[in-house]
Amino acid sequence: MTVAELVDAGPLAGARMYGTGENPVHRVRIVDELSVLSTVTPHTAVVLIGAAAGGGWAVEMAMRRAWEQAAACVIAPSGGLSAGSGAVLAERLGVTLIFVDEDPLVTAVRVASAASRPEAARTQLVARCATRLAEAGTSARRVLGVLNAELPGTSVAFVDPYGQLLAGRAAGAAGHRPRDGGPAPEGRAGGGVLAEVAVPDRDGDALGTLVAGGAARSPGWPSVVRAVLGLAVAPLVAWAAAERLSASRDFVHQESLAERLLARHARPLEEGHGHAPESPRTADGEEPDEVRGRAAALGWAVRGPVTGFLVLPADGVTGAEAAGRAQAVIAATVGEAPVLRRGGGWAGWSAAAPDELAGRLARCVAAMPWPCAAGAGAAAVGLDGVGESLLGAEAAAFVAGPGRVARADRMGPAELLGALPAGVLKAPATVVLRPLLAVDKDGSLLETLAAVLDEGGALRAADRLGVHRNTVTARLERVRAAGFDLEDPASRLALQLACHVVLR
Amino acid sequence: MTSPGTTGSGAAGRIGAAELAAYVAGSRLFATGAAESAFSLAADWAGSVIGDGVEVVAAGDLPQDVRCVAVSLVGSTTALGELLPSGDEPARAVRALEGRLGGRAGAVVALNLAAENALIPLVAAAALGVPLVDGDGTGRVFPLVEQTTFALGGVPATPLALAGASGEVVVIDTAADRVEELLRPVVLSVGGWAVTACYPMCAGVLARVLVPGTVSRLLRAGAPGTARAVAAPYGVRTLCRGRILAVEGSTGHGAELALPSLPSSIVVRESGGLGRLVRLEAHNEIVLALADGAAVAMAPDQICMIAADGGTVVDVDKAAPGMEVEIMVVRAAPVWHTGPGLALGGPRAFGLPL
Repeated sequence: MTVAELVDAGPLAGARMYGTGENPVHRVRIVDELSVLSTVTPHTAVVLIGAAAGGGWAVEMAMRRAWEQAAACVIAPSGGLSAGSGAVLAERLGVTLIFVDEDPLVTAVRVASAASRPEAARTQLVARCATRLAEAGTSARRVLGVLNAELPGTSVAFVDPYGQLLAGRAAGAAGHRPRDGGPAPEGRAGGGVLAEVAVPDRDGDALGTLVAGGAARSPGWPSVVRAVLGLAVAPLVAWAAAERLSASRDFVHQESLAERLLARHARPLEEGHGHAPESPRTADGEEPDEVRGRAAALGWAVRGPVTGFLVLPADGVTGAEAAGRAQAVIAATVGEAPVLRRGGGWAGWSAAAPDELAGRLARCVAAMPWPCAAGAGAAAVGLDGVGESLLGAEAAAFVAGPGRVARADRMGPAELLGALPAGVLKAPATVVLRPLLAVDKDGSLLETLAAVLDEGGALRAADRLGVHRNTVTARLERVRAAGFDLEDPASRLALQLACHVVLR
Repeated sequence: MTSPGTTGSGAAGRIGAAELAAYVAGSRLFATGAAESAFSLAADWAGSVIGDGVEVVAAGDLPQDVRCVAVSLVGSTTALGELLPSGDEPARAVRALEGRLGGRAGAVVALNLAAENALIPLVAAAALGVPLVDGDGTGRVFPLVEQTTFALGGVPATPLALAGASGEVVVIDTAADRVEELLRPVVLSVGGWAVTACYPMCAGVLARVLVPGTVSRLLRAGAPGTARAVAAPYGVRTLCRGRILAVEGSTGHGAELALPSLPSSIVVRESGGLGRLVRLEAHNEIVLALADGAAVAMAPDQICMIAADGGTVVDVDKAAPGMEVEIMVVRAAPVWHTGPGLALGGPRAFGLPL
């Protein structure tokens, strides 16, 4: 057992170590005055107490004499010597110096015990972690609690693919660089990243990353940390799977989660101050965010470009049971996405771009047990903009017609007119136009009225119809004679709409 | 360099107005703890009373039965700069001791020759019209009145007389190991500093127990262009040159020890050579020097920091990170390296169990 192993995984866990710690430890010697050091044998861990630890000068002299005796390391109570000069001297002499916070006599007993059973200490740490992880079950919070409690001097964070903290300690993710290329925070205390372990979801996509941060107290410590983080992957995958299972069983449960996510992101939009894409309350939050954590477990897009969608049943299917079935179909065709009841249909958002999403929605519409239309919104920069995107999706779904998918970002006036419920409006339109239709034997009056309203003038209407402009003027006289006031804007719009419906 | 003066080697000379400058300069070469204003004051004081000059004699050249008294400043030099002397303190102290013992003092000797402590005995000799003995009671400076070669030679410090700036005179007569304990509160109550006359003894005894020739040595060493090493009768060596990395509080100096100041620790990184980490353990003065954890110098030898720019001795309290210093070790008189000498002035006297 080397000094480094004592510090990494054994009885000195959590102590500060200066020097390589590569020397093997065979025995322990408690030294209370400097003269004792002349009788210390090689490979001894020297534990300083009393006068021998009484001041910086005493610790330095002890280090020197320990070096002369080829001792394995010097263990001193912290505070006896400033860390700066301790580090310099440890490096100069090649003597490993360890500061411990607890009673050095207790340390001595523990080191002696570990030195007599060299292979046990590291195994003990890993085994203890495995046992406690098993007890923690499938809760991300409890799993991270175990990791942070058992890995001394190390902060462990569970972050989503966007670098947001899901559970654990924010300090652990201080040096982590998320996959979207965001800059890793600089200058944070506690050193860099010791180990990173990816946590996949059940489909093999990235669910998140376990990041351990802190000072590498010895060369071997990162590998110990990595081994322990590895033990936590399975419980976290199980946690995510359990969350998804419960969400698919309980539509209302996942819907309320989605509503909470939307609600917290809606505020900056309503205030209209042009906030950054992410809500400032959560963007760099130091506290793990429970809502966000569960959304991540469900595989929902919580950051970056998102696109809203709406699946609209033609015959107004409602109710929780129908919603549950719709959610299952959406999950199977669109992917893991929140589903909310909106505007008589089922809305949600996805990380897919509108193009890709429209394709998936087409499969979704085909797979639905009821005739449905679907709309895809325009791409939003983040969850802040998803409300806008959902409005577009709703409009597009309304326009699309059963069995079809429309995209809000491709929608113009023609599509709006096309979405008018012509069947419903035909009867009232006919009633409105009846005085004209009564005198319009060949339909030329209606045709001319429509042309004038559409083109905005008699000249261009004449061009469109291929007749002389006097003819158009004459026909308009007859229209007016039938009781229609073309100078009144309200009448004009109603007439234009009626012409559109009747002529379509 | 000449060997240290012997006890009976003829007249050492005279310190007049012309020699005073060299004497003043010589007293600073290895002296620490000097407050600048107090030192200027002491130098001006000496200049104002020197008159025709003070005779410097070797102890052995005095008649055997002439009574000699040691004179020194006690207390804080900073206080001396703030509570100005009335001018008659040295004479009053010596007269009080004479009154206690009966009979006149025939010569004055310095307790030590560090900065003001070299000048006050000169002032006393000038005021009393007696010679100054060429030598002193330490060969360097120690913080306690009983840390002298006189004490090592069996001469008690008491009876001891104190004169304060406001006209007080206190005579202390007690066992040798109680002197410091009684002295310190008295010095505080008279204003923080006082002139003491102590260690009364006849010239024959003085010739046996003093560190000889140190006054004339300061006169030589203080002359412009003379090497600093001339001021060190038993040799001096340079430990290293370096930059101060840190000044820290220190512990482990023995709690029962009663020294005037708190222990501190100065960490220096050697600039050239091996680049060693040097730790100077200070308690009133630098007591121990470690280089990479190995003891390379300790009391009773005198360890001092000389500022790289200016060449003045850096006071322990004024040491600050970033300063470039040269660390020098002045070897103490041989008597300090005997068993009793080490007990009185070695590291254990400063609480270091070495």
